[in-house]
Amino acid sequence: MVERESLLSLEEVTRTYGSDVKVHALREVSLNILSGDFMSIIGPSGSGKSTMLGLLGLLDVPTSGRVTVKDVESTGLDDVERSRLRGQTIGFVFQQFHLIPHLTALGNVETALLYRGLSVAERRRRAFESLEKLGLSERSDHRPVQLSGGEQQRVAIARAIVTDPLVVLADEPTGALDSENAENIMEIFAGLKSPERAVCLVTHDMEIADATDRRVSMKDGAIVEDFVMEKL
Amino acid sequence: MSRISDLVRVAAAGLTARKVRTFLILLGPILGVGAIVSAIGINESSKGYLKEQLQELGTDLIVANAQDSLGGFGQNPRIPEDAIGRVARLPDVTSVTGTFQISNIVTLPFEDAENYYRAFPVPVIATGLNLPTTMEVPMVSGRFLNEFDSNNAARVAVIGRDLADEYGYLRGESRTISLNGVNYGIVGVMDWVMLEPSMDSAVFITFPTAENDWEIENQDPSRLYVRAPTNTQQVSEEIPTVVSLGGPDGARTSVPTDLLDAESQVDESLNNLTKLMGGLALVVGGVGIANVMSISVIQRASEIGIRRALGHTRSTIGIQFLFEALVVGILGGALGALAGSGVVWLTAWMRGYVMVLSIPELIGWGSVSVAVAVIAGLYPSLKAARLEPLETLRLG
Repeated sequence: MVERESLLSLEEVTRTYGSDVKVHALREVSLNILSGDFMSIIGPSGSGKSTMLGLLGLLDVPTSGRVTVKDVESTGLDDVERSRLRGQTIGFVFQQFHLIPHLTALGNVETALLYRGLSVAERRRRAFESLEKLGLSERSDHRPVQLSGGEQQRVAIARAIVTDPLVVLADEPTGALDSENAENIMEIFAGLKSPERAVCLVTHDMEIADATDRRVSMKDGAIVEDFVMEKL
Repeated sequence: MSRISDLVRVAAAGLTARKVRTFLILLGPILGVGAIVSAIGINESSKGYLKEQLQELGTDLIVANAQDSLGGFGQNPRIPEDAIGRVARLPDVTSVTGTFQISNIVTLPFEDAENYYRAFPVPVIATGLNLPTTMEVPMVSGRFLNEFDSNNAARVAVIGRDLADEYGYLRGESRTISLNGVNYGIVGVMDWVMLEPSMDSAVFITFPTAENDWEIENQDPSRLYVRAPTNTQQVSEEIPTVVSLGGPDGARTSVPTDLLDAESQVDESLNNLTKLMGGLALVVGGVGIANVMSISVIQRASEIGIRRALGHTRSTIGIQFLFEALVVGILGGALGALAGSGVVWLTAWMRGYVMVLSIPELIGWGSVSVAVAVIAGLYPSLKAARLEPLETLRLG
């Protein structure tokens, strides 16, 4: 059996907001995301899952504790180093898609490859390949407004994987979709699983969580359950 | 390099995506630079024909008129003939010609015209042989007076261009004119003399001829024309001393283009006021850029958030917005300069001015526009760079 390595880990991470009145969004949380994981973080509103996503995605820094990406401790990094690490290792998918409205599908995917010293032709080739994987090659020159919700989310997934990240973090990825599109998107996420990569979905929907192989449940800023589904 | 080209591409895409907003941002620098360029250009062009004339005439001709020992012009004061040589030897002088206007001569193209030309006499001028050189005037036809004419006191004359037209003189025609009944053969016609228009209707003869035929006593001129391309003012001040050598014969000098030069100077205070107003327009334009771009940062918060999530650094985001301001400054400055030049051209065309536009001034005001736009773009750029991605992406 291939040994799975740690891609992203939180060690006793605490995140508080406010100076006079402190609000503990996360309390000494530890989590280890391993290569090959297809997991979900589930919890009700206010449970701290969005704070967790921000910290896992290096969009935020913890008040205390350590966030490590592969072997790199990110807490002490400056903005340039942390941004670079984020761009190289993590791909994001959001509930509201967050596509740039004035760019085409191809342009949106290409944005993830900017400022990396790639030629325009190389960037376009990779972006097109990524769209092709998601079955959107014929929609590459369409703007977000010309695409359906499901198509927009597929463009967002193409943008997330075009950099070949170690971890794909998705925030309520089916929250803005109808059930048919949601099912399709979940199939795509399941297809992103690979021995080198981890896919982590943040959701409040138990049905989505049940579709993953590992379920991390949160409540009041703490992990209350880390459950690995038994495979048949 | 590729980072800069990426930034330029992203900035251009950001600007072209919102054409109306971009146009509104551009209006500030366009109006500011356009107002300055057109106001200064129209002011300069209104004096353009004088400048052009000045360019054509040059500012290096000195006229020295004889003056008697009492400081006035007395009874026919003259400049000693040998003073011409002395003035010619001054280091900056390239050419000197003496002239003397002879009075009481009735010049006739034909006898029947006597009554008219007695009432409106034509000037007859005894002159040195290098007058066209000194005045920098070409011959329209024939030749000027030469050594042969002078040595033989020949009865030949050169006439001014207006007089030739008045007499109906044809180029190359063999013809005489009558000076108090004495016939002179016309050997040439001299072109217009811009700095001495009275010469255009004059008859020119040599000094020896004048002395022989018209009892002018000697060959001393009453006026010197001096060409001094360098240190003109200094030469003008030296000539009276060189002429008089401390004796009673003096001269008073003037530079005919001085007055024209003074007239051609644009009103500097008006120009400064124009620059001040245009500068204010640019500052207002800058405030407009800062304002619209700040709103744009708020509207594009989600775009900034996603770019940050994709790994773009704070400085990259800031520079992206600063590049947009830079492009606005360059485009606005260029379009403003173009629009201002168009207004100057149109005004010059409608009012018959000679269009005057200073290219360094255009580049200068274009650069001011760029500087104003970049300074105005600093605040929105910093604001964009400081946005927290977590706040703009509104997770879960």
